[in-house]
Amino acid sequence: MSVIRKEIQVKLQEIFVDLFDDDGIVISNDTTAKDIDEWDSLMHITLMVTVEREFGIKFRAEEIGQLKCVGELIDLIVERKG
Amino acid sequence: MNTTIISKVRDSQSGPSNEDHSAYIKWLKNKIKKGELEGAFHDICEFVNPRMDYSLQFKVARLIASIDLYRLGLKPIKIALVSTSSIEHFTDILKLWMAVAGYQATIYASKFDTVFQTILDAGSDLYKFEPDYVWIFCSYRDYSLDISPGDSDELITKEIQRVINKYKALWQVLRKNSSSFIIHNNADIPINTCFGNLDGAESWGRINCLRRINVELSSNMVDGATIFDVDSLSNLVGKSNWFDPRFWYHSKHAFSMDAYGVVASKASWVIKAAEGRSKKCIVLDLDNTIWGGVIGDDGVEGISLGASPSGEAYVDFQRFIRELKNRGIILAVCSKNDEEIAKQPFIDHPNMCLRLDDIAVFVANWNNKADNIKEIASSLNIGLDSLVFVDDNPVEREQVRANLPMVAVPELPDDPAGYIAAIADCGYFESVSFTSEDKIRNTMYRQNVERKELQNEFSDLSSFLQSLSMISKAGEITLEVLPRVSQLINKSNQFHLTTTRYSESDIQSMLSSNEYVGRFFTLQDKFGDNGLISVIILKRENKETLIVDTWVMSCRVLSRSMEKFIHREVVGIAKMMGVMRLVGRYIPSPKNKLVSGLYKELGFSLIDDVDGVTTWEFDVKSIINNDSIFINYA
Repeated sequence: MSVIRKEIQVKLQEIFVDLFDDDGIVISNDTTAKDIDEWDSLMHITLMVTVEREFGIKFRAEEIGQLKCVGELIDLIVERKG
Repeated sequence: MNTTIISKVRDSQSGPSNEDHSAYIKWLKNKIKKGELEGAFHDICEFVNPRMDYSLQFKVARLIASIDLYRLGLKPIKIALVSTSSIEHFTDILKLWMAVAGYQATIYASKFDTVFQTILDAGSDLYKFEPDYVWIFCSYRDYSLDISPGDSDELITKEIQRVINKYKALWQVLRKNSSSFIIHNNADIPINTCFGNLDGAESWGRINCLRRINVELSSNMVDGATIFDVDSLSNLVGKSNWFDPRFWYHSKHAFSMDAYGVVASKASWVIKAAEGRSKKCIVLDLDNTIWGGVIGDDGVEGISLGASPSGEAYVDFQRFIRELKNRGIILAVCSKNDEEIAKQPFIDHPNMCLRLDDIAVFVANWNNKADNIKEIASSLNIGLDSLVFVDDNPVEREQVRANLPMVAVPELPDDPAGYIAAIADCGYFESVSFTSEDKIRNTMYRQNVERKELQNEFSDLSSFLQSLSMISKAGEITLEVLPRVSQLINKSNQFHLTTTRYSESDIQSMLSSNEYVGRFFTLQDKFGDNGLISVIILKRENKETLIVDTWVMSCRVLSRSMEKFIHREVVGIAKMMGVMRLVGRYIPSPKNKLVSGLYKELGFSLIDDVDGVTTWEFDVKSIINNDSIFINYA
């Protein structure tokens, strides 16, 4: 994994723990909404708003609801950050 | 609760600095886990700010949700949101701000975009929920107008009226089916319109048409309802931050989630106002608060007031305070000064906006301010929790906060140019109505203080009361007095036997039935007119019995034999109706201890006592002692 992706994952790890209020969460590229109980459609929006703020990026309307796993989220952040 | 301070660094004993949000929230979470609910709740109220981003407020809202607010004594309140957009994320934030305002909110959210169906269906879950407040949460998208460029004024007016009528009908149905207070969003006027500037310049322009919608919504509002001015909030946040079309396209969020705190906190203040819990009085320090410099050292010529940038700011701040007075807020002064010196600028300084007769109570001495503030509250006969104390000196602020936690003490910035914003941002003086009594309230309270001074000159109460030459008018409750009657019933806490709350339409429908009789009372004396100060609503229970359903009186006129005067009037009504007995009930609330013994004093006898709810009876044939009534009929 590239250094940049690693850094993003570390930051996301913190965001997930804070937001889902669960110290036991460990995310990987394959983590999906199914793996985290609290990750429903409402929390997904909260997550996306939080990621936008923390990374200083904006998603396209289309992308907000499309992500399948944490790996794809990292892809998107890498792309947006340029 | 002060909401303007963005962050305050705390000392090491009380946990991490609240500037590190993540660590601070963890620390609060732990505090709650340990059961320190009251402390945690207090810290949250100090920490949270309407402008914080959504993610952070979401986390704070979750902390609040984990606290048993009922145990903290917060008042339960039911709010129904009927919305044309997604509302789930917003309700969490609303609960948070309602808690900060002192309420434990239960929220009902209608299904997405079913405003009309929900309200029109008398059997809908909305009505089963029995809300105290119904918030029609619409946005500019709901005010779609069929207006083309170049349309005539006549056509435009007709089209605007069509849309307004649609909502008017909705409010009327809601009124009919529920006694809840209605809150209705106006249009958050968008910025990206296709004619650009012309949309705000031509009468057919989209921006101008929505402006007219907003004006018309206000002027068509029914009673027991208020417009929620979302448009101003979108201006405050900034339109380009307010609108985030991505989240409308994705999940039908009407505006940016980062604006939720601003909207929810404002709503909490409006609801608090509708509950009669807004602040009533502002207590002002003098030196470096309403003028620059120290009057005792600098003298009238030396203080800064006008004629310099900060001097201008002080003048403007005084103007703001005077406007508050003109809308019904009582003004008091609490200053560490010699009284005569402190009063000099009010008399001699050409740039003073405030004059001595604007101030209901003027306290200038060298005692500690907390004691003086207690004195001020008691001489005005209002609760300490209805005071706001404004002082530039942080030491004085802390002293008052520590000794009188119920008094609101806003932080003031160093620069007087920021004073107005510091007070205005706190929402202390929100209101949902304005009556003629509001206009002259300050004068009435000042006269009351003068009366008290006169009282001190008399050795016995009856000769004092006699000297006041009081007259009262008792009248039936007509449409003209209805707003004031409803305001009195809904805002009074202390002299309110049953703490019943009735909207204008409730009162109208009660009085239109044969069962109920209502009277209002005014009181005038040689110092001035107190206006409409008491309302009584009587219910005919059966042939023999007349029940005092509601009795409220302004505390301004306590101990003036007014209650005896009203009692005699009620007995007269009872005799005319041919009933044998009057029955009164006292239902204790946290604030109405004052009248727990009223019926006893008036010669009623106790017939029932269930958990402090006492019921009293009065035989209408009993003799009433006229000698202790010092009021004549007008």
